[in-house]
Amino acid sequence: MSADGRGPATGGRAAGRSDEALWWALFSAGGVMAALFVPAFVIVTGFLLPAGDPAVAAERTAQFAAAVGWWPVKLALLGVLALSLVHCGHRIRHTMMDLGMRRYSGLLKVPCYGGALAGTIWAAMLLWVI
Amino acid sequence: MDAKDTMTLEIFRYHPETDSEPRFQPYEVPYNEDWVVLDAINWIKDHVDGSLTHRWSCRMGVCGSCGMMVNGEPKLTCAAFLKDYYPFGIKVEPLVNFAVERDLVVDMDGFMDKLQEVKPYIIRDDVNDTSEGEYRQSPAQLAQYKQYSMCINCMLCYAACPVAGHEDEFLGPAALALGHRYNKDSRDQGQAERLDVMLAGEAIWGCTFVGECTVVCPKHVDPAGAIQQAKAMAAQEFFKGFVMPKGTGA
Ligand code: SF4
Ligand code: FES
Repeated sequence: MSADGRGPATGGRAAGRSDEALWWALFSAGGVMAALFVPAFVIVTGFLLPAGDPAVAAERTAQFAAAVGWWPVKLALLGVLALSLVHCGHRIRHTMMDLGMRRYSGLLKVPCYGGALAGTIWAAMLLWVI
Repeated sequence: MDAKDTMTLEIFRYHPETDSEPRFQPYEVPYNEDWVVLDAINWIKDHVDGSLTHRWSCRMGVCGSCGMMVNGEPKLTCAAFLKDYYPFGIKVEPLVNFAVERDLVVDMDGFMDKLQEVKPYIIRDDVNDTSEGEYRQSPAQLAQYKQYSMCINCMLCYAACPVAGHEDEFLGPAALALGHRYNKDSRDQGQAERLDVMLAGEAIWGCTFVGECTVVCPKHVDPAGAIQQAKAMAAQEFFKGFVMPKGTGA
């Protein structure tokens, strides 16, 4: 659309549906994950597990670690982490666009979603060894 | 009314043919509890300065033509009461995010184009003969889109939206809500056609869910909600595209 807002009907917009639906769907799923599970993890691992008598806490933590070692739990954790990371990457990408980098929206996918992928691989490696 | 009971309206003035730049002009208006900002502006035009230019019609929140910035907020001036600002002054400006045509009047052409882009009418593949009567719809089917059909095109949501201000490709709250209104209409068969427009470039994806459109909407259209629903619809269509590629009857 031209500066006076009188451009042709589809002016300036690339024809065809954008692939943004995919990123938005992952972003949206990640938002639910991040809002639902991440605070719960922080409360459990950060506050509840280490609370009280250190000896009891250590035993409790060992039990928790054993549960996390079970592969279905590992898989679920990886899912939560991967989606939360994509959520984060998408939000950063859109914030950069709002801050004036809209022209580079395609290029920004590389560090933002690439970062989420790298974080997911790292999390997978950590989960593998525990 | 007490003779001293007045209020000051500072009004944005700009006549492009004579003014090199816009200025604010203060006007003293009688304070009347029953008056809305539009009454005060009309009083100025009738009694003080006939060159003041503004749009209005219904005076009852129906026509959508009296939208202006009142103390920095997008408002229908026929629904903004002086008593809510009294005794402080009121600053009146044209809606932001639009080019100014003259004083308080903005250029609506871009907005009108965007409304038309979403094909805001019922599209049918198979048109029934009129002898078959109307396309029937249940109250539940009506409820699916009724809220989104209440828009009066006042453009307050465009003035409230930071994305509408800097992204020309973005269709904007009212146009997207209108497109979604027809996509949700059980009588319509034009969803695919409409989504081709709504899902291109930044047309809908420019929205970062700021939500101010819904806050300022005088008709409780909830354009932000419509946009979220439309995005979810787009995501569904996107994944359906893998399962049932186009042309296989999807
Ligand atoms: S959606 Fe609401 S604020 Fe936007 S143009 Fe319609 S009535 Fe006005
Ligand atoms: S004059 Fe019609 S909506 Fe205000």
